[in-house]
Amino acid sequence: MISAVHFKDFKALRSTAVRLEPFNLLIGPSGSGKTSLIEALLRLRYLAGQAPAPGPASALAFLNGPQIEFHFHPPFENVRVTLGCQADELSCHRLRVDHPPGLAGARQWAELRTQLHGIRAYLLDHQAMGAPVLRSAGTELATNASNLAAVLAQRAQQAPVAFAHLVADFCRIMPEFSGLDFRGVGEGHVELRAALRDSPEHLSCENLSQGTLYLLAILTLAHDPQPPTLLCLEEADRGVHPRLLREVRDALYRLSYPVATETTRPVVQVIATTHSPYLLDLFRDHPSEIVLAHKQGNAATFERLSERPDILELMRETNLGDLWYSGILGGIPGD
Amino acid sequence: MRAPEAMKLALLSESPADEAAISILVGYVLGAPFTRVQPTLRARGWPSVEQVLPAILRHLHFNTEADGLIVVVDSDDSVVHTPQHEAPAYHHPGCRICRLRTVFRRTLKNLPLNAAHPAPATSAHPRIRRERVLRAVGLAVPAMEAWYLCGRDTSITEAAWTQGQAAGRVPYTRSELKWRVYGTERPTLPHEIKRAVQEVTRHQGDLLRLEHDFPQGFGSLARDLRSWRAESGH
Repeated sequence: MISAVHFKDFKALRSTAVRLEPFNLLIGPSGSGKTSLIEALLRLRYLAGQAPAPGPASALAFLNGPQIEFHFHPPFENVRVTLGCQADELSCHRLRVDHPPGLAGARQWAELRTQLHGIRAYLLDHQAMGAPVLRSAGTELATNASNLAAVLAQRAQQAPVAFAHLVADFCRIMPEFSGLDFRGVGEGHVELRAALRDSPEHLSCENLSQGTLYLLAILTLAHDPQPPTLLCLEEADRGVHPRLLREVRDALYRLSYPVATETTRPVVQVIATTHSPYLLDLFRDHPSEIVLAHKQGNAATFERLSERPDILELMRETNLGDLWYSGILGGIPGD
Repeated sequence: MRAPEAMKLALLSESPADEAAISILVGYVLGAPFTRVQPTLRARGWPSVEQVLPAILRHLHFNTEADGLIVVVDSDDSVVHTPQHEAPAYHHPGCRICRLRTVFRRTLKNLPLNAAHPAPATSAHPRIRRERVLRAVGLAVPAMEAWYLCGRDTSITEAAWTQGQAAGRVPYTRSELKWRVYGTERPTLPHEIKRAVQEVTRHQGDLLRLEHDFPQGFGSLARDLRSWRAESGH
């Protein structure tokens, strides 16, 4: 959906741009702009939901504060959205839309707005996931996945095939479990439980490990019959054993490349962040999916790994994770 | 009379799919069942395989009953092993088979023979029956997917690859091989394992084609494995 984002004076992103693919893995040190990109996308979703200010994007030129400009893939390639504000304002809270004139252009923008409304960002929280939750809170996974139990309970009822696929994937990846079920825990609350294989025992959500819960949340997103249009996932590797990171990658690819996994859903654009060289190793065949976030002093810039002219030569010598850790790719903390 | 005990083998590869395929092929070459040393070993691709191999050999030697270790890596763009590399004391620094064999030789040379030096008191297996861990090294040229396509696509051979390398224009890429095997460049792990197993199972009972089309990469592995019969008495 989004083809590129250009930043001017937005937090540490003073003057940089990032081209976006269906799948994007952002790597870089803290403060290098990874989360700022996600914030910008959430800001876009929010402001696109409001009534846009009239006039062309160039009208924002009078604003001397931060600006974020969004470009889109076809069929929205002729639409441009700019967020901006005055220098003394705290955040980009004004939105201008530049689209082709006439009814056709207005329709394009209306359709794009609907898609922008589907942008979601997740920073999973295992403690929040562990607690029982109101059964009625299961329409859509919350930002921290705190309503995981309610979402899965609802999916088990309303989309049993998708739920069965999710459970099959979960039990394949975590063979110590044989299934998932739900238990009512008073006043409309529901608790998620995982059945232990070869045992009558069930582990309640609060007793599942951090990594198990994160994996379950990622699978919940990957098997969502009505997924977001754009999904941001912070620290995609968190809590997951390095040997299981391939499963995390596959789950996210399932969203970005639905044909590859024999599903018929529309493409979900994915933006994930990581600090794991092990996860990075898994993108050796697709360096175009990696975005390096560089930090120099107080300024940060983005660079797509495939734009480095020497990347194929470098990858002949060693794996991507070690290349990143060594510092020769950049995207590392300052000394 | 008791049947001979199955060999205990360790396998070092780059992915669970490679592991599934190699395990089947090893069984076909040995012609006998074997058991796998647990936990399974895994490397993060070249050069991690070379870096982690000494520690793995030491671990297998002292802490397990492993009779042998099988290592299979992708050649990627590296120099492909040739019959000239088999000359005594020859070592090609760009050839992954030569390099892995050197690591085996150097590491094993410095480990005591179990018969003369019993395993340390901390060892979980104080009565290890073999003296040294046996070696089997294979090289998938340029990647495991080439082996999977053997017999299906006659244009995919070690010779085609090395001739292409020499001419500066390789006949196919890793991505193209993936497409041909999986129908996508981004297969899921279960799909990758399923296709790997499907394809190598075609070679059951007849490995001649694989040895003919991949005489150095797969041939070396098969020759190493066959030499074990004499060395181990299995």
